[in-house]
This record gives sequence, C-alpha cells and structure tokens, in this order.
Amino acid sequence: MKHLKFISRTVLVRNENVDEACRILNRIMGSEGFLDQYRRTMFYEKPTQMRRRINYEKCKAIYDEDMKRKINFVLRKNRPEPFPGCY
Amino acid sequence: MFVRVLRDFCRQTAAVSGRENVNRLIHIAVPLEKNRDRRSFLASVPRKDEGTEGEKFVFIDSAITKKEDMFPDINTPNMHFGGVKFSDVPVCHIKSSRNNTILHVTKPNGERIMIRSCGMEGFKNTRKGTNIAAQATAIGLATRALDFGIHTVRVTINGLGPGRMSSIKGLTMGGLKIISVTDDTPISWNPLRSRKQRKL
Repeated sequence: MKHLKFISRTVLVRNENVDEACRILNRIMGSEGFLDQYRRTMFYEKPTQMRRRINYEKCKAIYDEDMKRKINFVLRKNRPEPFPGCY
Repeated sequence: MFVRVLRDFCRQTAAVSGRENVNRLIHIAVPLEKNRDRRSFLASVPRKDEGTEGEKFVFIDSAITKKEDMFPDINTPNMHFGGVKFSDVPVCHIKSSRNNTILHVTKPNGERIMIRSCGMEGFKNTRKGTNIAAQATAIGLATRALDFGIHTVRVTINGLGPGRMSSIKGLTMGGLKIISVTDDTPISWNPLRSRKQRKL
C-alpha cells in the first residue's frame, strides 16, 4: 500500500514549537531504524561487511540480554534479606 | 624519497642493534603507518552534523507532554490553518545533502513557485555544506515567500545533512509559519546496488 504523503512520517507543529516537532520526528525515524537503513544503503555494503555486522549485532543482542538480566537481579526490590552479606 | 629511505634505514638499525628496543617495529612500509595514523585521526574527528537532533536522546519536556494532537489522522487534510485547508497549503521541500541544501516552495499540486539553494545564495564549494549556509538560504527564501504572499507552509525534509534542522530554523526566523514537518527521505529495504563506499 502506498503511504500517503503528509499523513505518514508527519508531525504537526503545536504552539509554534517547530524544534519539538523536528525532534519527535527524528526520534521516531531513528528508533524505527529508518535513518540507520538510509545510512547503510547510501553506499554498497559488501557481503563480508554485512556478515560481520550481523554477527556483531547478534553477539551484542545476547550480551545486552544477559546484562539486562544481571542488572535487574542486582536492582531487584523486596528481597528477603535487604542487605545480603552485611551482618 | 631519499628522506624516507634514510628514516627506514635508521629504524632498522635501531631495532636490530639495540637489544632494549626489541618491541620496536621494523618499518619497511611507511605508507602503512601513515594510513593507520590517518584512520586514528579520522576516528578522533567529531562526526559531521546530520541534522538528526533528538535521535538518540529524549528531552524530558517533550517526553512528559502528551502528543496525541501532534500526529495527523484521517481528518487532518480537511483541517483549517489560518482559513486555508491543510491540503491546500503550499509546501516547502528541503533537500539536504552532505554538500548542499536546496529549498523549493511549491503549490500543493507540486508546481514550483520558487527555488533557492546555498550555491545561489553566494556560498561556494565546501561552505555550501554547512548549517549556517542552510539557515541563511532559508531566511532568504522565507522573505521572498512572504513577498509573494505565502505565510504558512508545510515542510518536507529529504536526506540527512547539515541543513536538515537549520534550514527549518531559518524558515521560522524568516517569518514563515510552519504547520507540519514531514520526512520524505527515500528509504528502501530492498534497494538497488548503491555506489561503492568512499575510500578514507
């Protein structure tokens, strides 16, 4: 389906605050991966580079997942002992 | 050439004769070292402004406020802004590339009214690709548009470059009222083969 212009990827300006609208637009474009895709396809990505990038992204995702779990474990609330190891 | 040969020779002798300099490299190819220096230099240079302010960081003010009325819906084309329908408001197309910024003002059907670019504004060569040039161009365009009788515009931005944000800023400084900002960058997930990478 064709995306309608001025409906998709559009932010209306509120209270003449153009900067805010631009920032929101940039943020959405960045978080959805549009800007990354644009930067990546500006120049041809060789197959080796693509493999390297994808492997790196996989490793990073695994590491991030583990680290997130670790941080949540350390920062967890309602522990049976509030200060474990401190007597 | 001679200097380079001499330098290489000195290095070799230093490495071989001095036992304490075991860790020192024997440089046969100076250009390799030069290339590495250049890479580290390029890594230390700050990245060029791409006009993507707000991509990585959230501003707390905008995170708190509600945004429901900032996104268009099916009724938006019929909404009135200053007595004119949203779909009948003139459009300002901004194409910001790495080396230049081009601004068009068109009628809603795409018919061109005026065009300005950083090169036309008097900036030449690398100066075209700066945010100051983009802002000055946008201010110039805004004053012309006001003379023409255009007070309200919709804005579409195309591409990443130093003029992406600053040209919009310039339009508001020039006195135009912007009612919406649209991103018009061509993005494909199965693109044609693009040009080869720049050698750095």
